[in-house]
Amino acid sequence: MDRGECVSLLPRVCEVLRDSGRSLPDDTSLEKLLDWFSGLTEAGGSLLEAHPCLLEFISTVVNKTSSDPDVISFALKLSGLIAATEDGFETLQERSVLDLTFNQRHWQEAGLWEDPCIRIGWIQGVRSMLQHSKALGFFVQADFIVPLLQLQTDSSLFVAAAANQTLAHVLLFFQPALSAGCNGTVKSQGSDTRTREHPGVTTAETDHDYSAVLVAISEYLKGSLVRGEENTRLHQSRQILKLLALLLARAAPPLRDKLLRTVADPLEELVTAGCSRLMPPLMDIVLAANSSSSVPDQRVTRLLSSMLNTNKPADRLRAAAAFLHSGHRDTVHTVRAVRILLLPLDIITGQTQLGADTSEEHRFSMVEQLKSKTTCVSMVCVCLTNTPQITLMPPDLLPCPLVVIVSAVLSLLRICCGDSSSGGCAEVFRNVIGSGKVQKCALEVLACLSSSPGVKDELTEVVTVLIQYLNDPDSDPTVIHKSYQALVKWMSVCEDLSSVTDLLRRDLSEVVRKRVCDMRWEVRDSTVEFLGKLAAVPKSVEETRDGTWPGSCSSAPLLREALQDPESYVRASAVAALAQTLARGWQQGAALTQEQTDIVSRLLEILSQDTEGFARRAVLQYFIAWFSSRASHTSPPSSSTTSSSSSSSSSSSSSSLLVNSVSSILSLGSADLDWEVKVHTLELAELLLDEALSGHRGYRKGPETPPALLHPYAVVPDRTSTLRMQGAESDSAGALSDLVERGVVSALLSGLVDCDRPVGLKACQLLITLRDTICPPPLETLDATPATATVARVSCELPACGWGREIRKILGANKCDKAKEADVAGETREEGKGEGNDGVSVCEMLRSLGLDARLDVLSQSSDHVHNSPLSLLQDILTASAAHTRQDMQPGQEVIVDCY
Amino acid sequence: MPEINVTPLGAGQDVGRSCILVSIGGKNIMLDCGMHMGYNDDRRFPDFSYITQNGRLTEFLDCVIISHFHLDHCGALPYMSEMVGYDGPIYMTHPTKAICPILLEDFRKITVDKKGETNFFTSQMIKDCMKKVVPLNLHQTVQVDDELEIKAYYAGHVLGAAMVQIKVGSESVVYTGDYNMTPDRHLGAAWIDKCRPDILISESTYATTIRDSKRCRERDFLKKVHESIERGGKVLIPVFALGRAQELCILLETFWERMNLKAPIYFSTGLTEKANHYYKLFITWTNQKIRKTFVQRNMFEFKHIKPFDRSYADNPGPMVVFATPGMLHAGQSLQIFKKWAGNEKNMVIMPGYCVQGTIGHKILNGQRKLEMEGRATLEVKLQVEYMSFSAHADAKGIMQLIRMAEPRNMLLVHGEGAKMTFLKGKIEQEFSIDCYMPANGETATVSTNPSVPVDISLNLLKREMALGGPLPDPKKPRTMHGTLIMKENSLKLVSSEQALKELGLNEHQLRFTCRVQLQDPHSDSDTLHRIYTHLKSVLKGYTIQHLPDGTVMVESIVIKVSSSADDANTKVLLLSWSYQDEDLGSFLSTLLKKGLPSGLC
Repeated sequence: MDRGECVSLLPRVCEVLRDSGRSLPDDTSLEKLLDWFSGLTEAGGSLLEAHPCLLEFISTVVNKTSSDPDVISFALKLSGLIAATEDGFETLQERSVLDLTFNQRHWQEAGLWEDPCIRIGWIQGVRSMLQHSKALGFFVQADFIVPLLQLQTDSSLFVAAAANQTLAHVLLFFQPALSAGCNGTVKSQGSDTRTREHPGVTTAETDHDYSAVLVAISEYLKGSLVRGEENTRLHQSRQILKLLALLLARAAPPLRDKLLRTVADPLEELVTAGCSRLMPPLMDIVLAANSSSSVPDQRVTRLLSSMLNTNKPADRLRAAAAFLHSGHRDTVHTVRAVRILLLPLDIITGQTQLGADTSEEHRFSMVEQLKSKTTCVSMVCVCLTNTPQITLMPPDLLPCPLVVIVSAVLSLLRICCGDSSSGGCAEVFRNVIGSGKVQKCALEVLACLSSSPGVKDELTEVVTVLIQYLNDPDSDPTVIHKSYQALVKWMSVCEDLSSVTDLLRRDLSEVVRKRVCDMRWEVRDSTVEFLGKLAAVPKSVEETRDGTWPGSCSSAPLLREALQDPESYVRASAVAALAQTLARGWQQGAALTQEQTDIVSRLLEILSQDTEGFARRAVLQYFIAWFSSRASHTSPPSSSTTSSSSSSSSSSSSSSLLVNSVSSILSLGSADLDWEVKVHTLELAELLLDEALSGHRGYRKGPETPPALLHPYAVVPDRTSTLRMQGAESDSAGALSDLVERGVVSALLSGLVDCDRPVGLKACQLLITLRDTICPPPLETLDATPATATVARVSCELPACGWGREIRKILGANKCDKAKEADVAGETREEGKGEGNDGVSVCEMLRSLGLDARLDVLSQSSDHVHNSPLSLLQDILTASAAHTRQDMQPGQEVIVDCY
Repeated sequence: MPEINVTPLGAGQDVGRSCILVSIGGKNIMLDCGMHMGYNDDRRFPDFSYITQNGRLTEFLDCVIISHFHLDHCGALPYMSEMVGYDGPIYMTHPTKAICPILLEDFRKITVDKKGETNFFTSQMIKDCMKKVVPLNLHQTVQVDDELEIKAYYAGHVLGAAMVQIKVGSESVVYTGDYNMTPDRHLGAAWIDKCRPDILISESTYATTIRDSKRCRERDFLKKVHESIERGGKVLIPVFALGRAQELCILLETFWERMNLKAPIYFSTGLTEKANHYYKLFITWTNQKIRKTFVQRNMFEFKHIKPFDRSYADNPGPMVVFATPGMLHAGQSLQIFKKWAGNEKNMVIMPGYCVQGTIGHKILNGQRKLEMEGRATLEVKLQVEYMSFSAHADAKGIMQLIRMAEPRNMLLVHGEGAKMTFLKGKIEQEFSIDCYMPANGETATVSTNPSVPVDISLNLLKREMALGGPLPDPKKPRTMHGTLIMKENSLKLVSSEQALKELGLNEHQLRFTCRVQLQDPHSDSDTLHRIYTHLKSVLKGYTIQHLPDGTVMVESIVIKVSSSADDANTKVLLLSWSYQDEDLGSFLSTLLKKGLPSGLC
């Protein structure tokens, strides 16, 4: 249907686009149109067959140089897309469209080539077209390689990058797929090309064309890498290096070998010239060449050696870092790179056991560099951020045990705090004192190093330094955050914490008590989050027994205090941390305490009064976690008296408190203004449904979506079919009454008519589950048993206003529809049942709400409609009509501003 | 020559997502990190791979500065910091830091509502991102590192919006973000020092527009709302959570009070309290009138505007409802719109721009039949009005800011290319400065004057002060004499004596000499005396001495007389002077060439 409408609208849209004077809806419209066309092409359709108007459109636009540059650019890209198939290519050729469209001189003469959007359009058009040998022939014949190589160093980043991509594409896509050991992706692409080749075109012709392109690019690479004007050379060299990296990463051995042979000398020359700004792209080339080959190429190895021996310490360090980052290992370069990387750490901390680079010359030049503060901070950070790579090395490639690195990082952290006792070169280490950047990097490394073998001996030192950081009044909030992260990491991986028990009990508890009242909300939040995470750290019972262990129940008062925090983020974190702290008690079915009662009443207060959604969401998640942990250790009730019996029988346990709070939570949560609070409320309702219905035959948990596949709130188009109940269940009525009593049904009905689609969708899914599990089919079609009659009698009250009124409206509308159907069939129908302010039969209501149809609508997001090609075409047409409307008042123009 | 490079990744000749890279004095700064709401995939975010690849973003960028809380300026921030992995400092003002998460949460909600949306930031990511933000105060210079400093100025536009000056050494750039040069009902006008930046990067949304008086627009708005209410219609005003909505609320509140109107005004989803909270908290960021009257009455505590409950939409009779979101693309505003669209007595007023695909966009362009979910068609009979209340500087305002800041170069962003070209011409003509307007991905390069720091010796300064000169004042430059010496890679201005001492040099005197012939039939000593008398009468106030060694001295100029060997009446005068008295020396030689007056004794 849509497709047909699109076909009919497109000619008018083309007309609008051709007429440059008329405005488009916005700057994304043309790109979205191309997305649609690309989708059609990828699906295997022929664009010209489906939309013959496109040919006329392209032909007119490229002939009319006064067209809007954006529209011309679009036409160029579209031409490429059409010419990507041989049929499309031939049609465009027959109509002589291609020659003009991609004639660079045509655009230059029209003065349009200066516009980057035309250059981008031209490049992307050429790139799209180059999918078959005929296009390659056209490319070679028209000598497109010349402008493409010029555009490779274009002043626009976008144009230059697109040109590089296209150059790489032409060499990689058409490379002969003959050799064994060829990169898988490239090989398959090569094979595709052959199958796409037109029977009339011989392989020899393609090979000839390909060779011509290869020669042109190779000569350009060789000739331009180190030449050119002084001021343009850097830009040119950088662009060529980027192209080489793209090529080497995916080239098959013959091409890779040829390229390396061509550029080995100029590359060597570049390394020797020692231009620091070219070092990262040079290293990318080495990495690309290594990644695509299992056996290291001698030329690449030589280049790598030169880079690791360069005279400039910063370049040497970056080269070492990049090499280690690649994951490529060999006995010579890996060891060398590690030694280079550890040198700044050695110089600053004086930790000579690191086994860093011992060359006197390198050490001297490095010290000189490190004397400048900016360079020093930057180099130490490079050293630190790449240190985790070292931990992944086999021990025989390491110059020192990992524990020495931990020790050096600890020394560095102490130096950063102004402790000079362990420092190395004084002129250097003063540069890192107080540097937040270095502190953050070092703390991250420290966290990474926690799981390294043989480092546990440093635990006491690690904890001491981290507590020192947490205690330091000058510590930046981000530094404190990272200190907490490192501490949790070390405490999680160390099984035996006995050596630091005192430190944790005394010093850490004290600092946490201080930080939870910090002036900065960021610090308070990190502290509260830390307490929550600490509660999840596995530890022995002895350690936590006396209650002074941070993260145990001793944290609860601090967290309760944090529930009053002025910052909503902190309140939310406190709620989450409390849930983590109390989780163990819940699982063990701990007895009800006054503290728990206080917490629950405070949480209900937050849910009803907090002005920010974060805290209220956290409250719902608290109860979901509690309910889930309770469900995991208690068997589900099987009788119809779930609510009253469970609350009375377990009055001494904490779960009774939970059960008693559920109705309030559901009622508050479903009336909330925040959509996520409402979704979480429905999640809690789902748990209650699960508990009430799990004993029933035919019950299947609501629609399950594998979390790994879809976003938590992504639309689920296919409803999981639930099994219809095959007969009346004796306890169904009780379970349903219980759900009504607890407010589950009200929460679901309220959610069904919510304005936020995820809420409506979730509620609809749960109501269908409820209907299919518990409600018998309509009485008129099946013999009613006493049990089904009892279920049918269970009713709930609908409030006179708000969601109640909405539900009544739906019921009324559906009834009208049904009545009309009945009239047509000449049948009479019983009226008036379930209306008014009295209770409405739940089952009848569930059957009358049109839930299945509603689910279908809700499963389609609003975007499904608004972002469809039809919507786009309509918008283009209406925007154009609005633009030409005579009744538009001056000053009424809709100006794109901000949002 | 040092250079400043500016490369827009967004907002270069468009109004999509602002993201501008500035390289100044070896530092790289990202100005704004916005999101394009018109896209549903990664194209909505700036493509950071153009900056640097392989996750080296933290290494490359020295800081990120966010000008204000609008999503086209900050929407990509959590993506950049929590998903791409930037871990460096982020700066924004206190109000922006407080309000940003609300807008980001709002947007996240709409996004996750969409089919197949993955790879999007979570609430936790928004919080973690905000925890990395360093708040800025107005006019406070913040040292990012030893070399880079930034300073925020008031920009109007929305609560907390700021212009930022970025300085490295003597080079500086000012970025305006979005700004407004005229005060409105709740915010003041933008203001900046005469800071003479090397480049002023200015938004240019209304580059070719001289906007009509805001009063007219306000009057028009009130008239339309009033008319609709009078005929018993309902008025829907779709808005974003914070910003223009508060301005319109103040407007309606005052009007309702004045006209004693009874029709209810509602504001959806508890935003009144939230807005109230932020405006109270950041009262210093509002305009003078609001600040002044705040003690007597908080302008944001509305008497007539009540919180909205979804059931009110069905109430009979007229009403005005402010509902989110602003583009009618989801949620409450869309739900109310669907209910009211069929009645021609009702009205929807769109106070801002809507992206393609949204219902707001469709109805603004005149679509009257809308396809909704489930292929249901909604007929739009209600009145549709567009009234832009966005607060951007118009062409006049931009020129006013240039006059205020006196930049050496201009660079336009956040505007349409054609309009920018027009304004560029005007700026270049009026201010005789270069104006750049790079497209996205293009780099504008501006050369700056190298700054050479010179130390000055204390003695020289003291001497200067002893001579009665005013104390040094950076705003009033004046000439100071001294000797510039280079020592240990630094430059120093010292007295000549100190220079000699420090460099271990001997003083050499440079003297100019000149011979003048004149006819004087007297003895050499008499001629010398006559010269002395003549000069005494001509050069008043100069030290002139007749010395016993047979010379006359005028200041440092020595005059000797000898007779010519050929003719005793022809006297040869030898004049010698140092370079300090160069002017006097040449004057004397010219004077004596004219001969001595006859009446001299």
